[in-house]
Amino acid sequence: MTATDTAPAAAPFRLSGRQIVPLLIMPILIVNAVSFIWPTLSLLRMSLNEPIAGGAIRETLTLQTYVSVMTDSFYLELVWNSVYLCSIITAFTLLLSYPIALFIHRADPKWKSLLTLMVISPLLVSAVVRTYGWVIILGDQGLINALLLGSGLVDQPVRLIFNNFGVMVGLVEILMPYMILSLMAGFGRLDPRLEEAAQSLGAKRLTTLYRVTIPLTAPGIALGCLLVFVLSISSFVTPKLLGGGRVFLLATEIYDQSIVLLNWPLAASLSMLVLVIFGAALVVYSRVVKALD
Amino acid sequence: MKTRLLLAGVAGLAMLQSLSAAYAQSGQVTLAAYDGIFQTEYMATVIAGFQEAYPDIEVNYYPMANSAATLGTLRAQKSAPQVDVVIFDVSVAKAATDEGLLAELDRETVTNLNDLYDTAFTEGVNAAAVTFDNLVLLYNTKAIAEAPTSWEALWDPAYDGRVVIPAAPDIQGIAMTIIANQLAGGTDYTDGLDAGVEKMGELAPHVQTWEPTPDPYQPIMNAQADIGIGWNARGQIFSDQSNGSMGVVIPTEGSVFQINAIGTVAGSANEEAAKIFMNYALSPEAQAAFTERMFYAPTNEKAQPAPEALERTAATPERMETMLDINWLEVAQFREALTERWRREVIALSR
Repeated sequence: MTATDTAPAAAPFRLSGRQIVPLLIMPILIVNAVSFIWPTLSLLRMSLNEPIAGGAIRETLTLQTYVSVMTDSFYLELVWNSVYLCSIITAFTLLLSYPIALFIHRADPKWKSLLTLMVISPLLVSAVVRTYGWVIILGDQGLINALLLGSGLVDQPVRLIFNNFGVMVGLVEILMPYMILSLMAGFGRLDPRLEEAAQSLGAKRLTTLYRVTIPLTAPGIALGCLLVFVLSISSFVTPKLLGGGRVFLLATEIYDQSIVLLNWPLAASLSMLVLVIFGAALVVYSRVVKALD
Repeated sequence: MKTRLLLAGVAGLAMLQSLSAAYAQSGQVTLAAYDGIFQTEYMATVIAGFQEAYPDIEVNYYPMANSAATLGTLRAQKSAPQVDVVIFDVSVAKAATDEGLLAELDRETVTNLNDLYDTAFTEGVNAAAVTFDNLVLLYNTKAIAEAPTSWEALWDPAYDGRVVIPAAPDIQGIAMTIIANQLAGGTDYTDGLDAGVEKMGELAPHVQTWEPTPDPYQPIMNAQADIGIGWNARGQIFSDQSNGSMGVVIPTEGSVFQINAIGTVAGSANEEAAKIFMNYALSPEAQAAFTERMFYAPTNEKAQPAPEALERTAATPERMETMLDINWLEVAQFREALTERWRREVIALSR
């Protein structure tokens, strides 16, 4: 008996479409429950415990950590700082990625895959290694400072790392491939004939860009921005290595609270806060996508 | 007849006891302690020595990135511990004791506990000091030709932008604040650290990074920075490994001790083997061997490390006089509050 003999109709029992859907999504449901829902619930439970000075945890049900996060000006500043810095990073990533994505989209098909490969290739190197690369390039004795000092523009090395600027440079570089890929995925609707039509009707290049190209690629822009924003607000290694202890973000604070101060309940409530910010970003994204349609 | 039976019974009991003693000499024990250079050196000295003395007890080394990770592991395994012995920071050991994760100290089996210095024990902690370390000044020998002798060297304007300090909540930053408090004429740290925080604020604009990575030693060895603070043991060993490109100084004003404590895990399946290992780790020979290898000061009064090794620790009589008293459990109580002050009054001045 060969495989071709077992036609669907001859099968001993047959699942209808309605039955097969839950069966097919079962694996991802299980994976999600074990790797996301269960840990999130544990995190929620941990955030309701009471931290005791010195690192011990008392199991109880209290909103104490949430109250301290909501009332302490440091944490409010931390949330604002995180959202603000990550928005700027998202904007810069978009600005730098858009032309590249557009270029690749319009490139000759035979070059397209090579160019795409070049965009993805940085992802083959760990973010930690790339971040250390930036420490070398932007450091006091690094390439940029050597150029600045050599050209006589400055007489002392400029501090380019261990501050907000360093974190921005590092994260923008690391997140650009994700933005470019999202943009390219959203460029499907961009028909070159529409741009040609606009130009033949007398639109200048900038007008074409604003009135035709950008509106048509807006879904890709929204998707890329969502992805980059979420990745940047949860990024930890790069701010830790390039921030020099001066840049306080939610992810680094969660690390300090859990690993250094052993305050797991507070770390857990900050993690729940990050989850809320993710949720807000998703709401904004879906609103934008709906408005675009 | 009755006497013979009794005798046989006694003999049988004695045999059983010797059997159980022999049983205790075999088995395995899992030690959770720091990874990296600590693991390398501890395996080469203490664990190698233990395996020689107790060839039938197998030691598994479970490397941990830091004390908090060890505590996290103990918490996660509370119902079925896989780790039998832990070495971690004393303030973390306090939290572990409070949560019932550590077994009580057993002076009858772990007899070497009776030979430790008084400072090796902390009230309410079911673990005893296994190493004493202390805060030191680190400097790049090419950038700074003459070894500094005082903590004040950190404030020298010549090193503007070339200073690395691991900031609070790291205990190096906390310890530095307590030392700065003393430098600025403050009294005991329990009376408040205003003077120390203010003095650290004066240092802030000169600091290159508050978060030297991967540790404070590498940037100074690689000449990315000129001066900074770190721990003596690691500093000494990295200084040797870097062929002297980094110098290590225990300043004349004294320093503060950091304590790593050893304890056995509550509910461990290998309790006997764990106690035998703990006893060996605290023995004079193991203590001396580890001091000679990694320059931690011994916690056993009877340990006699080579004088040239002892000279590179804070445990010399002259240095002991200058050391500042510090109770890490008291510090743990205000560590979070001090961290907040650091962020507002110290790090804010270095942006």
